[in-house]
Amino acid sequence: MVEAAGGPRIAALNEAAYAEGLAVHDLLADARAKVTTLQVRPADPTADDAALRRLALWATRYTPTVSPWGEQNGADGFFLDVAGASHLFGGEETLLADLISRLDRFGLPARLAIADTAGAAWALSRFHPDDVAILPSGQEAEALAPLPVAALRLSPDTSATLRRLGFKRIGSLIDKPRAPFAARFESELLTRLDQALGRAAEPLALIAPPPVYHSLRYLMEPIFSQEAIVAVATRLMKDLVHALVRHGVGARALRLALYRVDGEVTTIDVSLTMPTRDPAHVTRLFDLKLERIAEAVEFGFGFEALGLAATIVEPMEPTQTDLAPSADGHNAEACAALVDRLQQRLGPRSVRRLAPVASHLPERAEMAVTDAIPAWPAPQAARPLFLLPHAEPADVLALVPEGPPQRFRWRGVMHDVAHAQGPERIASEWWRSSQPTRDYYLVEDDDGRRFWLYREGLYERETNAPRWFVQGLFA
Amino acid sequence: MQTASMAYQSSHRAEIVGELRRLLAQQGVAAEARPLPFGLQTIDGHLPHGGLAGGALHEVVPEARSDIPAAFGFVVAMLSRIRPGAPIFLVTSPCGLATFGRPYGHGLNSLGLDPARVILVAAPNATQALWAMEEALRSGVPAAVAGVIGKLDFRASQRLHIAAGETGRLLLLLRPPGMASVAVTRWRVAATSAARDRFGLLARWRWQIKLERCRNGRPGQWIVEFDHATHHFSLAAALADPTFSRSTVVHAHVHARGRAG
Repeated sequence: MVEAAGGPRIAALNEAAYAEGLAVHDLLADARAKVTTLQVRPADPTADDAALRRLALWATRYTPTVSPWGEQNGADGFFLDVAGASHLFGGEETLLADLISRLDRFGLPARLAIADTAGAAWALSRFHPDDVAILPSGQEAEALAPLPVAALRLSPDTSATLRRLGFKRIGSLIDKPRAPFAARFESELLTRLDQALGRAAEPLALIAPPPVYHSLRYLMEPIFSQEAIVAVATRLMKDLVHALVRHGVGARALRLALYRVDGEVTTIDVSLTMPTRDPAHVTRLFDLKLERIAEAVEFGFGFEALGLAATIVEPMEPTQTDLAPSADGHNAEACAALVDRLQQRLGPRSVRRLAPVASHLPERAEMAVTDAIPAWPAPQAARPLFLLPHAEPADVLALVPEGPPQRFRWRGVMHDVAHAQGPERIASEWWRSSQPTRDYYLVEDDDGRRFWLYREGLYERETNAPRWFVQGLFA
Repeated sequence: MQTASMAYQSSHRAEIVGELRRLLAQQGVAAEARPLPFGLQTIDGHLPHGGLAGGALHEVVPEARSDIPAAFGFVVAMLSRIRPGAPIFLVTSPCGLATFGRPYGHGLNSLGLDPARVILVAAPNATQALWAMEEALRSGVPAAVAGVIGKLDFRASQRLHIAAGETGRLLLLLRPPGMASVAVTRWRVAATSAARDRFGLLARWRWQIKLERCRNGRPGQWIVEFDHATHHFSLAAALADPTFSRSTVVHAHVHARGRAG
């Protein structure tokens, strides 16, 4: 039921309601009068949309090019581009039979049609007398001719106008002079007609970009264990390797899709530091990742199909497979493989390198990166080995406000300063915020421990009560 | 096979040893398992291989909690002495560095260890840190693995020691004192006042290092200073140093001997 002009109207019906002679768009009041036992629920387009997307995701088990229908198409189905995929199932009839039986098992009655154009397939799925229709190539015009004009996916206004003018069937539109139609109607009419007849291309909005490198396996029996998943993933990767080698590329990111028996799809992504074609390495990464996210993966009644796609590929030298270290004893590929393994198990951003940043502020002078890093400059001034997460306030006793510290209390411990070296003045970066200037001191206490303290604010110029902080610790 | 039998026939012992060394080097193990010396005869003489043996677990223990930076500095100084090439893996777990923050790239740099060589691995807990260290050691990729972790039980230390032995990589572990392990050496490190240059400025960091335990070696205690530019250790001019007058040194030395026996 949906709210509309003139009162609530019917948005969708089940089979029993159809049998009673009700139709979509009927006024609810009329329907109630016809069928007194009618049960009504408000329509929930958001949930419908989510359910359709889930189903479309499941349908990627047939082909990766799946496009769920949007508002214009009625938002109650999806296109599958089965060109090049149907032979894997032994022909289009078998594919449709398999699809309809699986949908039936989910409790979803469906109408299916295969045609050369998306428009024709849509029209047949709606208006063909049979639930399943396959249109041979080149017969779009004959097949569409007897169908009502609504089969062209036109807006309600356009269809109403056409009906008023006496155009009831698509056949009466085909082969008419185009100019009068172009003058009287929105461009929609001719576009839709051309799309249905294959005269104009119709781009599909796919649920996920189709991967270039993709392999899929259907299993005789559903699998339940991590080991089985990993074993199948190895075989999938071996299938992919041929195509990768042929094109001289390696995978930088891979996605493993697990199709559960009840239609749920789980995807697992891994990314790599360097392009790879090594099945052993890839499956080890999936193994580690599965271990980490074990709780998040629901095995349910098992997985019946697995698909592996290389989502990002990069050119790769053909002779990177040898594991012999190079002259300086460093093997970049083995190192990248190790970093990948650690990252999959420990989580993203756990394995990092440090890169220098051109900033005077110590806490901004470096950043953690995961890829190649620039060379570090030669060390200038002494810098602490540890940097505290945040500079911590310290109580400092100094002879004069702008002098070096004599004693300081930090984390509840009093330190007597044996030697203080400084100040090293670091001004704030004016293009950021106006922080006070800092005067840094390298301080050694009586026990030989070395600290990095700074006084925040220039005495009498920026503040009258400079505050002290401990920011780092030297070796 | 043929070369081995030839070596066996030669009567001269040095020749046999030389030949075996060459064969081992061809296996690609011995070349990596070479020890890491201090470059100081005084200290290297105490160690069975003339340095920290490769393919083994070495422990560094801070004298007190506040000596963790000094102990870590000692680890970094040793790592900086490894000849350039393969990366160095530094594995940390949350309880390892406790409240001391994070290793600072510019600080590593000013201690002579090129930060570009270091790969930091931050494990979410101690178990994962052990796994990461083992994985890194077994891969044979890093020149050395350093771990800053909390507690370590005896069995875990055994596993790590074996993993290090498989690929001949050096494993340095910074951990709290007072736990049994299979480490071949244990160093106790405390901070001590730095060497001054002729202008009275702090020039070279100094640490008081105590070789508490050393399999097939002799314990000892020294005050060393480290030059980050040349990566050289040297002994502090002991008698001129005021910290030496604490007279704890000789006492501790005897104590260490007693424990090792």
